[in-house]
Amino acid sequence: MRPSFRAVGLAAILAATAAVPALAGDQIRTIDLFTRPQAAQPQEFQSIQLIAQEWRKLGLDVNVRVMPWEQMSDIVWYQREAWDVTAWQMVGRPERSDPDEIIYNLFHSSTAEKGYNFIGYVNPAYDEVATAQRVEIDEEARKELIYKAQEILAADQPNMMLVHPRQTFAFDSTVWNKESVVEQSGIGIRNTWTFMSLEPLGEQKDIILNSGDNVQAINPLYISGGVDSWVFELVYDRIARVGPDGLPQPWAAESYEWRDDKTIEVRLREGMNWHDGEPLTAEDVKFSFETAVSGEAPMYAPFASNIETIEVVDDLNLVFTLKQPAASFITSSLAKINLIPKHVWEPVIEDLKTKEENAESYQEQTPIGSGPFKFERWLTNEEIVLSANEDHFNAPKADRWILRIVPNVEAALGMLRSGEINFMGEFSGDPQVLIQAAEQDGDLEVVSTVEMGFRYVAFNNRRAPFDDPAFRKALSQAVDRRLIVGAAFRGFAVPSNSVISPALEFWYDPAVMEGFETGIDVAARMLEEAGYTLEGGRLHYPGDKTEEFAK
Amino acid sequence: MLDAAVERKPSLIGRLFRSLRLPLNEPFAVLGLLIYALFVLTAIFADQIAPYEPTEILFTPDYNLAADLRPGEDGYILGTTSLGRDIFSQIVHGSRSALLIGITAAFMVALIGSIVGLVSGYFRGWVDVILMRLADIAFGIPFLPFVIVLAAFLEPSIWNVVIAMALVLWRDTARVIRSQVLTLRSRGYVDAARVAGSSDLKIILRHIAPNILPLSFLYGSIAIGWAILTEASISFLGFGDPQSISWGYMLQDAFASQALAKQAYYWFVPPGFCIILVVSAGFFITRGYENILFPKLGR
Amino acid sequence: MPHLKAALSRTLQLLLVLWAVVTILFLMFRLMPGNPMAAYIDPTFTIEQQQALMAQFGLDKPLWEQYLIYVGNLLQGELGQSFRYREPVADRILALLPNTLILTFTSLIIAYVFGILAGAYLAWKRGGVVEHAAIPLVLTTRAMPEFWLGMVLLAVFSFNLGWFPAGGTRPAGANYDSLWALYTSRDFLTYLALPALTLAIYSQGLPLLLMRSNMLDVMKEDFVTMARIKGLSNWTVVVRHAARNALLPVMTSFAIAVGYQLQGNVVVESVFSWPGLGRELVNAVSASDYPLAQGAFLMIAVVVIVMNLIADLLYAFLDPRISHA
Repeated sequence: MRPSFRAVGLAAILAATAAVPALAGDQIRTIDLFTRPQAAQPQEFQSIQLIAQEWRKLGLDVNVRVMPWEQMSDIVWYQREAWDVTAWQMVGRPERSDPDEIIYNLFHSSTAEKGYNFIGYVNPAYDEVATAQRVEIDEEARKELIYKAQEILAADQPNMMLVHPRQTFAFDSTVWNKESVVEQSGIGIRNTWTFMSLEPLGEQKDIILNSGDNVQAINPLYISGGVDSWVFELVYDRIARVGPDGLPQPWAAESYEWRDDKTIEVRLREGMNWHDGEPLTAEDVKFSFETAVSGEAPMYAPFASNIETIEVVDDLNLVFTLKQPAASFITSSLAKINLIPKHVWEPVIEDLKTKEENAESYQEQTPIGSGPFKFERWLTNEEIVLSANEDHFNAPKADRWILRIVPNVEAALGMLRSGEINFMGEFSGDPQVLIQAAEQDGDLEVVSTVEMGFRYVAFNNRRAPFDDPAFRKALSQAVDRRLIVGAAFRGFAVPSNSVISPALEFWYDPAVMEGFETGIDVAARMLEEAGYTLEGGRLHYPGDKTEEFAK
Repeated sequence: MLDAAVERKPSLIGRLFRSLRLPLNEPFAVLGLLIYALFVLTAIFADQIAPYEPTEILFTPDYNLAADLRPGEDGYILGTTSLGRDIFSQIVHGSRSALLIGITAAFMVALIGSIVGLVSGYFRGWVDVILMRLADIAFGIPFLPFVIVLAAFLEPSIWNVVIAMALVLWRDTARVIRSQVLTLRSRGYVDAARVAGSSDLKIILRHIAPNILPLSFLYGSIAIGWAILTEASISFLGFGDPQSISWGYMLQDAFASQALAKQAYYWFVPPGFCIILVVSAGFFITRGYENILFPKLGR
Repeated sequence: MPHLKAALSRTLQLLLVLWAVVTILFLMFRLMPGNPMAAYIDPTFTIEQQQALMAQFGLDKPLWEQYLIYVGNLLQGELGQSFRYREPVADRILALLPNTLILTFTSLIIAYVFGILAGAYLAWKRGGVVEHAAIPLVLTTRAMPEFWLGMVLLAVFSFNLGWFPAGGTRPAGANYDSLWALYTSRDFLTYLALPALTLAIYSQGLPLLLMRSNMLDVMKEDFVTMARIKGLSNWTVVVRHAARNALLPVMTSFAIAVGYQLQGNVVVESVFSWPGLGRELVNAVSASDYPLAQGAFLMIAVVVIVMNLIADLLYAFLDPRISHA
């Protein structure tokens, strides 16, 4: 660590104002702060450098460790006692527009040992709220609980929330009618709704978009890479879909209705067909949900495991009975499980049951769904071609949907400008460049949307000094989020202090941002009040606390 | 012509220098040596030359990130990167990693290759068979993929390139040195020395090693270029060392931040230019050598 | 039949080298630190599910047993299953290999045709201004990082001039009946042009310098002098006599160049979004997909080894001075 003059100056001021305590604990060890490399995650890398710089001003010795994702996740997930602080992110997905997954899985104590609560946050008061919101069917009452959860988190700061980034996409406005582009809240304009409603203006009727990553699989029973979901959300229907407003709406179902808090009646649309011409019936729907828990599709199992029975009333009507009331059932199950044709999958699943592999490693030659686009062909690492399903109840206006795999970001931008692609489906570069390109070209339209996903710094709540909420809070408040937004995200993000994004208007509690003061002086005062002391420019534990994790 | 006939006894360093047979009468070779000298000096005095730390996050006087500044703006000679680092300082510090990687890799390749070639060619027999089969195996390993895999397994570090080169690229040097040793051995004076009671070690050190030193140096200077190019390639592919600033890292950073689209020539041209300059300097020297060592071959 | 014997012993050596490379690969991929499945085991999995997955990929067995299974599978052409794509590695590699080979061979043919002609020309013009300027220039082309050259060509010819598309092998959504139909289509040429040019610029140096120095050697030999004395024109001497004799060693270097070029592809395929083996290797390594990385690596190694053998044999057959002791 190179001493900074400002740091020394501040430390001096701090030392002067702090009353000399009767007892001082051990000096706090050097803190390891993990980040992924600049090459892979420039914003994360930059944020971490800035945060380390600020924390050092408090008298904390910070060692930034740069490591690739595989290594980082291996330590953070599987060696939960072994790390201090790490950069982390949650990505936005349509199903995450119900707050349950984030509120419960990330922070409930039951998931601390092996699940998503890898930071080891344990707070019985929080557990109570997180559990209560799961079973609260009344939306307003549930909203109160979600607000409460956000306030507890803001007070405890188990994580240091940084920002909700803005997702930036672009399209060619000479090819597609601007009015037909749908902005999905928390997701952006690259979404299923846009692809169904894009209206061609001229001869070009193919949606051609790019992705930097390869498609891994087009498999309705396997949750694989993010790009894959763009494809299978178009090929497969679900009973419900998360709408542009972030709330679920009936999709393959004409309607659904809660009979009581554990029973829901579903009525399917009439006249739906599979891409091979067979009719879609209630039996197919039942089969789809049962396959999820058959043991052959382990990744989907959690989304259907709360279902006790599914009763087929007739070809169009079903009744789901749940084991426990679940407020998020429509978003996290009905809008999550892909509907698959029984006549295609039943023999496959039967066969797989006799084998070691499960359905996740099964790739159909031609995936058959009932969705708005039909599968045409897939060229390894090059492109995927889907064609419009004209018989669909919400038939797309474009002819085809073509996904090109373009790992080189510069090339992707060049392609958008030359017309080789007409929809920028992924842009990992500097959004400012995209906006400049649009200004120069005049026929490109750029839309950026606040994500429901977020970037944060996770404290290991198991290890001192991060087991002390006051310490976490001080560290979190030491960093002005405007610095992160400006100097790491180049303005393409909004400051955050809640795991619920402001994009989810209904659930977001604006109160968490009020009174969230930041600055080194604020943090220094908080540390002092909590009993931490500065000696020789280094921060020490309060009281007679000893350092247990020093190397 | 290749005999290192020793008329008088100059100092050891003088002898070593002389036996390198630097191609000082070839203009391009001299140019190459000058380029090397320039970069070595830059690397040594990098701290004095560079106005900033290469990884320092810079801010403008009004507390905004000093990002994407053009050359000359706010006094940054070559402008700044998208994340607010000084490009000129990175170029200057880049010479350190380039030379560090280049010279250690060249040293390893030349050393291992020469020892293997010497032992193999001098002792022949089963030692030769085993060593040359090992060389065959090394020839069967595709180099760049090998570096990528190694870099992914070990912690990302500039030394991965050096390790990979030491493990694989000694093969070319070893083969050439071996055949050179075979030729030397067939000459009379080795047998004469042996009859006179010289030990193997003495014969190798006195009579053979001085004659293969220029060859080792030649393959070493090719290896410098290879090492720098390889480091650049794996940095570009994202397997580079994130902690140290190299020209390859700069190019990767520039391309990932769309320097091309931003027309930021000042960002992606200088590192490329430096790589070309240092690597071709090595080739120029090599060529000068070849003209001396194999006047007919001149590859 | 000394040639036949030599060829046999060479082939045996090749098998030894192959076995060694296979073993090195196995050890490299299995002895590395960390759990190879960490990136693929979903954190929501139960311990049983994780173990089932490990068993499915054979990772629960002792190392020597894994090795025997691995070698046994290889002998049957079985390269295992990709962690990431959950499909046979062999299928993916076979789908991508033709793209890599056509890029490699096209660029090398361009490089060799240019290199041989230019090399012969420079030998003919030896000592002139042209030669003095050209040789350093040729050396400089070999000093350029290929990805840098590729990016610059992309910026100039695709982004600015718009002459060529920026990546891929075919227009979006275009369908061809077969690979042959694709490779012989006019569209394909526009997609092939820039990556092939990038690789060709890099690799023309070797044939050029080789051709030039061989020509210089040959032109000193007696029969060329004889031809000159006979009064044949300079050009006839160069083409009929010198070039023909200088060409053979250059051609043998082609085989070795294929091996080297495959390595350069790794970078260039990423620049030009070319769906080939090199890019697959890079992707597989960065996604910790070991079976796939191993398969792609092995495929490249096999081509390199076979090409080395071909070069060896060609050299031996063409040059009687090499003995096979």
